[in-house]
Amino acid sequence: MSKWQTLQNSSFLESNARQRAHGLVDEGSFTELVGPLERFVSPHLPELGEAVEFDDGVVTGIGLLGKHPAIVISQEGRFIGGAVGEVGGAKMVGALKLAQSIFEDLQKRNPADAAARRPIVLISFETGGVRLHEANAGLLAHAEIMDQLQNLRRKVPVVAVVGSKIGCFGGMGFVAAATDVIVMSEFSRIGLTGPEVIEQEMGRAQFDASDRALVFRTTGGKHKYIMGDCNYLVEDRLAAFRRQVQDIAGMSMEQIEGLRRIGSRQKVEQQMKLVDFALGVAPADSTDMWKAVGNEDPQTLTDASYSQFMAIVKRLNPAV
Amino acid sequence: MALNRLLFEFVPTAPRPLPVPVVHYGVVGSGDMEVILEAKDLEGKTAVVVVTPVSGFDHVWKLVLQRFIDESQLANVQISINDNNATPVVVSLRLRQALLEIEG
Repeated sequence: MSKWQTLQNSSFLESNARQRAHGLVDEGSFTELVGPLERFVSPHLPELGEAVEFDDGVVTGIGLLGKHPAIVISQEGRFIGGAVGEVGGAKMVGALKLAQSIFEDLQKRNPADAAARRPIVLISFETGGVRLHEANAGLLAHAEIMDQLQNLRRKVPVVAVVGSKIGCFGGMGFVAAATDVIVMSEFSRIGLTGPEVIEQEMGRAQFDASDRALVFRTTGGKHKYIMGDCNYLVEDRLAAFRRQVQDIAGMSMEQIEGLRRIGSRQKVEQQMKLVDFALGVAPADSTDMWKAVGNEDPQTLTDASYSQFMAIVKRLNPAV
Repeated sequence: MALNRLLFEFVPTAPRPLPVPVVHYGVVGSGDMEVILEAKDLEGKTAVVVVTPVSGFDHVWKLVLQRFIDESQLANVQISINDNNATPVVVSLRLRQALLEIEG
């Protein structure tokens, strides 16, 4: 069995950033750009006596999903919690710019075939946001990434792939929210303020960050899927994530636009309705919301395996 | 405060070349490290650069690396390590895994 085939059966959660990047695209198609051999390490960390990494915690590159060029950005959570610094941030921006230039090139050279070969961007998030050691550069990177997402809008689908241990928090939580499609596993999490920070600011009575069940039913994939904050929930295997992004690569831009949660007047109005709905429910716990959308026994959903969960779950209808 | 940059050189007794031009392995997690092994003409020697926040353990690095060279007999190889407080056992393991990465 080839390395790629072994990867397909492995847990996305347990894989590292490079394995995820290789496994998300077709066998043998991944080429890493600005990889560890280029040795673009952070110029700031050595000043602080902090360990550096040759890829600065971000794997960037390009592969194929069928006919579609897939630009991959994959964050490594084990290196400083996946926090985004100057070099890693610049690599992310560069990858997004590459997606745009590939798109424009295809339009120019072969407009008839351009739709069939439309590029796709996959961002595997594993981060708490800005790397505080190089805060200004990290913040700037967030802004530049947001700019690039706007440039790619309605041209190249940008997919957030969130199946990592750390999940996606802080500034990168905003970035994930601004992508076109979000794919999660139940073991990963998305949020803005991370659990520890909420506890620190609001007190343990408000949010106990050591209560893992609470953390996951508030920020985890199952909750995000019920509330419509993520579009697809998949099994924790690289193959499952790859199959899902392959499906998305084949969708029309209209379909993809429909999967966005924000980004138009209509979407904002929909979100406002959801806020009204939530105010009406006045939830004391996320499971109150689960009940309010028709899941009578939330505990069963929490305990359910992936396939059981998918068979019985009721999701929030965005038209409420 | 600054990062330490340690340099070592070894002369293997029964020299073996690196079977590939270059291999990278590992993640700089807490208590972990990454390594790049590169074939390079070093007149039969193997050179190691270790970048680490840890001070005062140069002699331990030397012993661990010497053992790796004794086992592998790698010659004409430039080894670059980014370390983040890896223990000697982890260092030995990662170096061996880097070689296995070539075979696998």
